[in-house]
This record gives sequence, structure tokens and C-alpha cells, in this order.
Amino acid sequence: MAIDRETLRYLGWWLAFGVLMCLLPFVVGTGTLRILIFAHFLAMFAMSWDFLSGRTGYISFGHPFLIGIAGYTTAILSFRFDVPIYYSIPAAIVATMVGGTLFFLPALRIRGTYFALVTLAFMEILYQLTKVVAPKITGGTRGISGLEAIVTGAVNNYYLSFGIMFAIGVVLWLLIRTRLGIALSAIRMNEEAVRSTGHNTTKLKLFAFTVSAAVSGIGGAFYVHYIGSIAPRGMFEINFLFTILVAALLGGAETIIGPIMGAYFLTVLLEYLRPVMPGMERYLLYGGIALVLYVVRPEGIYSIIVDAGRKVQEWRR
Amino acid sequence: MTATATGPLLEVRDLHMTFGGIRAVQGISFQVAEGETLGLIGPNGAGKTTVFNMIMAELKPTSGEIWFKGENITRVPTYERVKRGIARTYQVPQPFAEMSVGANIRVGMAPDDIWKLVSEGADHAAEADIGRSVGFSGEQIDMLPSELAMGDLRRLEMARNVAVSPRLLLLDEVFAGLTLREIGQISELLVEKKRKDGLTYIIVSHDLRALAPLVDRVIVMSFGEVIAEGTFDDVVRDEAVRDAYLGQ
Ligand SMILES: Nc1ncnc2c1ncn2[C@@H]1O[C@H](COP(=O)(O)OP(=O)(O)OP(=O)(O)O)[C@@H](O)[C@H]1O
Ligand SMILES: [Mg+2]
Repeated sequence: MAIDRETLRYLGWWLAFGVLMCLLPFVVGTGTLRILIFAHFLAMFAMSWDFLSGRTGYISFGHPFLIGIAGYTTAILSFRFDVPIYYSIPAAIVATMVGGTLFFLPALRIRGTYFALVTLAFMEILYQLTKVVAPKITGGTRGISGLEAIVTGAVNNYYLSFGIMFAIGVVLWLLIRTRLGIALSAIRMNEEAVRSTGHNTTKLKLFAFTVSAAVSGIGGAFYVHYIGSIAPRGMFEINFLFTILVAALLGGAETIIGPIMGAYFLTVLLEYLRPVMPGMERYLLYGGIALVLYVVRPEGIYSIIVDAGRKVQEWRR
Repeated sequence: MTATATGPLLEVRDLHMTFGGIRAVQGISFQVAEGETLGLIGPNGAGKTTVFNMIMAELKPTSGEIWFKGENITRVPTYERVKRGIARTYQVPQPFAEMSVGANIRVGMAPDDIWKLVSEGADHAAEADIGRSVGFSGEQIDMLPSELAMGDLRRLEMARNVAVSPRLLLLDEVFAGLTLREIGQISELLVEKKRKDGLTYIIVSHDLRALAPLVDRVIVMSFGEVIAEGTFDDVVRDEAVRDAYLGQ
């Protein structure tokens, strides 16, 4: 991989971000850490979505399908069959990648709204299946609880979730900076023209789907072991999907760092709204905020921060 | 295969294309020799672009065959045809809109190999070389397609094609929407590329005056069929051709 000077400079920023977040447990309480843990998982899902949909333009409304495959695989293997989580988690990730391939099949023929709807159907089908097929194994509508934790305590879980999110973030970010990232973006802009410059777009898309699925798989598997349970309602609810999409779009799609920021912003926002609005109106309000932000600044929070940074520099001169 | 040395570079045999009830192409056959420049003309809707789409496998012919370098490529997908040496420009330029000119060329230069795409960095010098070779200035390399004039957009398509090192270039309405000066520049560019790289062209153009000095031979299409074939001077004098154009 060619690491140029600009890449190094940005890597410096990543490093600073990493150090800062690692110091956080020394200053904030466990309550805040628990909120941030959720942000880290949301960030993984948003990055997964971004790598597929933000890049290639194949908009997925079905990411909970992928996350659900991961969650159920490791939950069932570890809880019902006593498979150690060292095996059940990797198995879940592999299963999700296979699921990603399934997801990919409609993308051979359709794109745009139709593709998005088909992925939504995937999610809905899995939702119904988990409720009715072999409830003795899946736990039916009530799901499975009492899943083994990987580490205990807010601080440990904070570091674990941050570490995974950070690693995924850096890898995806490096990937999109390569020519592969450019080729994937080109698919979003004009798939036919990518083909007519000699690229097998099927192979490129399959790669993006598999990477995206792997990230969702990692996130989903670790997530269910963190919360200790899985149930169809929470997993395949439209709110969950909505939260992922909003985090990705809010932060600024196709930047990888954007979805991370979006996830932090959204989780913290939702948390502060909780005492004021305990019910579903919260989602309505944040949907509204997201919409306004998206209309005013379609490039997302990330671009606002970049702009602000530039302004500060100008002002200091 | 010995046929490669002596046979035509491209041969299409009895191509048909039907869209629903519209018979856009109804039995087109022609050959192009290596190094030749073939003009493909005809009134609006004659089926010229459809023929290009079939040669590039962007459309699957209803029936007929396409041969390239002595090989039947009728079932070969677009990206494989590009690797074998066929490339095209679009009647309406199709740049990657959110990418700079340089990045557009980069996509063209990128290998069709995921591992290489990840492991090997871009060759910015080579990108700039290709950009320059079609007449872009240094600063234009960093511009977005939206900042370019039509002539430059057509150049950009040329550049992306040069990046895939084709043997046969299909040029769809390369002169449309250009000023006289731009037409001159693009013509020069085509002549220059041909001289240097020995390219073979099929040029679709409504601008017959611009086309005339470039072509060795012309095929005239009307309503999906070939109605005349020969040197430029022959076909423009042809009765059927005059009728087809006047009937427009
Ligand atoms: N994808 C398509 N679906 C349906 N009809 C099509 C399609 N593409 C082309 N046609 C029809 O096929 C016929 C030939 O179109 P084509 O674009 O090949 O003509 P052309 O010779 O390139 O014309 P022009 O000079 O206007 O570019 C037209 O009647 C057109 O409407
Ligand atoms: Mg046309």
C-alpha cells in the first residue's frame, strides 16, 4: 500500500483520536462510558453501511438482516450448543459474510429504490423466520437472554468496543483511500462507465458487499454478547435501521470518519433527550434534527468540523 | 490463429436488436480492418448507438454475432471486451461526475484486480501524461467535470479510453456540441493518436464535414439497416442516402 504524506498526516489524526478516547475513562463516569459503548457499536454498523451504500450507491435498507445473522449465529451456538465464544463469534462473522453474498444477488440485476426495497424484504423475512421457525432454538418472539459476556464492567467494555471500532475504522478508511475506493465510488456515479473502462463491476460489488457484511458481522456478534440478549423485535425494528442510516448520513457518508461522528452525536443526543422525552417522540425529534441537518448540510457533520477548522486557522493568521 | 493476421479486426454478422416492438437494428453486417477509420452515419434513430452498445456488450443482441481478432466475442462481457482492446465514447459524455479529471483517468488506468487495486498506489505522473496527451492543461487535471466545456468532456472520454490502451475505438458523436475550434482540436487528436498508436476507429457523426477528412470508408444506416457503403464521396452522392437524410 502506498502511504503518502497526506495519509500519514491523517493517520496522525486517527492516532490522536485514539489516544483521546483511551484517556476518557479517567475523566468520565461509567454512565457516560455505557452511552459511548452504544455509540461504538452504532459506529460499526454505520461504517458497514457506508462502505457499501455510501461508496457504491447500492442503498441498503436491510443491514439489520446482516447484523441479525451475526447476532443469532453466535447467540444460538454459544447458548444452545455450548460452543465457546472464541468459535461462535468467528462463525457468526463468516455466516454474515455468506449472508452478505445472498444480499448481493439482487444487486446483480437491480439498483436504486428497487434494491433498497429488496434488502428491506430480506430483513422482514428474517424477522418473521426468527419468530416462527424453531422457536425452541431461536427463542421465538422473546429471543435469547443470558448470553455470555466477553468482558465485564463498563471500562473494559468501553475499551473493547472502542478498540474494535477503531480498528475497523482505520482499515476501512485506508481501503477507501486506495484505487479500490475510487473504483467503488465510480460505481455509484456511473456503473456502466466503470464496466466500459474494463472493470468487472460484479467482482467489485461482491467485494464491497463482503467487507460490509464482515463489519456488520463483527459488530453484531460483539454487540449481542455485550447486551447479553437478542430478540427479533429490537433487532429488526425499523427504528434500529433508521438509527444506522441517520448516523451514517448525519456524519457524512463516504468518509468513514463521518459515520463514527454521526454515531457519537446521535447516541449522545438520544441519551440527553431520554429524560425529556421518554417515548417514541424522541425518534421523531431526532429524525427532524437529522432531516434539517441533512438539508442544510448534506455532506454531514464531518464537513462542518472540517470547515470550522479551516475558519479557525484563517482567523489565527 | 492465422485469421488474426489477415482477417478483419472487427466483424459484425447479421446483428438484430429489438426493443419491445421497435426493431432498432435489423440485420447489420460489416467489417473493419486493422488501422482503418470507418464512418457510421445515418439519420436520428437509425440505430448507430445501438450498434455501438452491442459491440460493447452493453446490450445483448437479439440475434447475430460479433467477432474480434478472429474470435467470436458475442457472449463476452463488457469488461472482457475492453481488455481485448475495444473501447468507446458516449454520445452524451459519461464522466464520473464527482471526480477530478485525474481521478477519472485513474479509474481507466486501474487494473481489474482487487488485490492490485489495494496494494498498488496510483501513478499520478502517468495520469498526467494521459491527460496531456489528449490536450488537458496541468490545472485542468484537478478540475471537476462540471467545470469543463463540452470539448473538454469529450477529451476526458478520450483520455479514459486511452488509459485502457484500446485497439479499436468507437466514437459516438464526438463532434456534437463542439465549437469549430474544438472540432479541429479533436480531429487533430484523433489523427495524432492514430499515427502514434495505430488505432482503428469507428466514428458516428452527424457532422459530415468534420467526418469527411477522417474516414477511409463510410456505412450509412437508416431504420436499422445498411442502405449504402463506400467512400465518403460515393455515399453522399447516393440516391438512397439523400432520400434518407431529406426524409428526416
Ligand atoms: N434502450 C432502448 N429501449 C428502447 N428503445 C431504444 C433503446 N435504445 C434505442 N432505442 C430505439 O432504437 C432506435 C435506434 O436508436 P439509436 O439510439 O441506436 O439511434 P441513433 O442512430 O444512435 O440515433 P441518434 O443519431 O439520434 O443518436 C430508436 O428508435 C430508439 O428510440
Ligand atoms: Mg446515437
